[in-house]
Amino acid sequence: MATQAQLILTSDVSGDPTNVDTGLITLTKAGGTNELDQTTGLGRVHLRSTTNKVLFAANAEGNDLAAKVYIINKSEDAALYVTVTINAQTIGKLYGGDFMFIPWSQTDTAASIEVAATNWTSSTGDIPVEYALFHEDTDYLTNA
Amino acid sequence: MATTTAQLILTSTDLLSDSLSVSAIGTLTGAGNSTGLTGTEGLGRKKLASGHAQYVLFEAGNRTADKAHKIYLKNTSTTAAEYFLITLNGEDMGRLYAGDWAFFPWSAHDSDNDIKIDPSADDMTLEYMLFTDD
Repeated sequence: MATQAQLILTSDVSGDPTNVDTGLITLTKAGGTNELDQTTGLGRVHLRSTTNKVLFAANAEGNDLAAKVYIINKSEDAALYVTVTINAQTIGKLYGGDFMFIPWSQTDTAASIEVAATNWTSSTGDIPVEYALFHEDTDYLTNA
Repeated sequence: MATTTAQLILTSTDLLSDSLSVSAIGTLTGAGNSTGLTGTEGLGRKKLASGHAQYVLFEAGNRTADKAHKIYLKNTSTTAAEYFLITLNGEDMGRLYAGDWAFFPWSAHDSDNDIKIDPSADDMTLEYMLFTDD
């Protein structure tokens, strides 16, 4: 069940161009070569609140296992951003078109990943966000 | 104007019953505008030969706060069990296992918002790059 991720960076910021290509890397479970075999699928929400919303809830069973998070701000407005936090610690702001791909250890149950349409107003329009989680913990779903 | 582009390709043919294919490409721009980022600390590598203790990779105090900095990290190890733990102001983000990479925005919203790295073993090499919006 190979799920693979690749990043290609090209830049002419420096005097000489920079080209980084990770190649397709297989997403594996913690500490081994077994492939990640679960996902939330690709989801989409329209954010219309400056309040933090839980995108991925941390789970004790996932503590220090391997998980990968993908989030993209699909807004076409460069000024509209989504603030991404983990346990109230701001990672960064995804402006229109920006994406992120990070490992997520769920070190504790407070380590949920949250998003907020921080500069949203009723006149800016919603901010569409797409996201996916690839993980290995079998008990990711929250108990009812 | 300087142009930096980042492209992500996510693909899986058999994780789900239907194949998954995601491609995203974007130009890295300043906070809230369409001007390309013009600063970088360059593509670098860091290896701690011994002691494998946590170290500060990027100091928030060196950056303009609340901007659109971008960070690229890659674990170049080929030993599956070796990882770098990425920490943000004391909060663990995640473990970057052998071959894994990460790409994310960094607000550097205050001077405590350092990006710290903790290798799980000696002699591990981290590849990194920071695009700055100062």
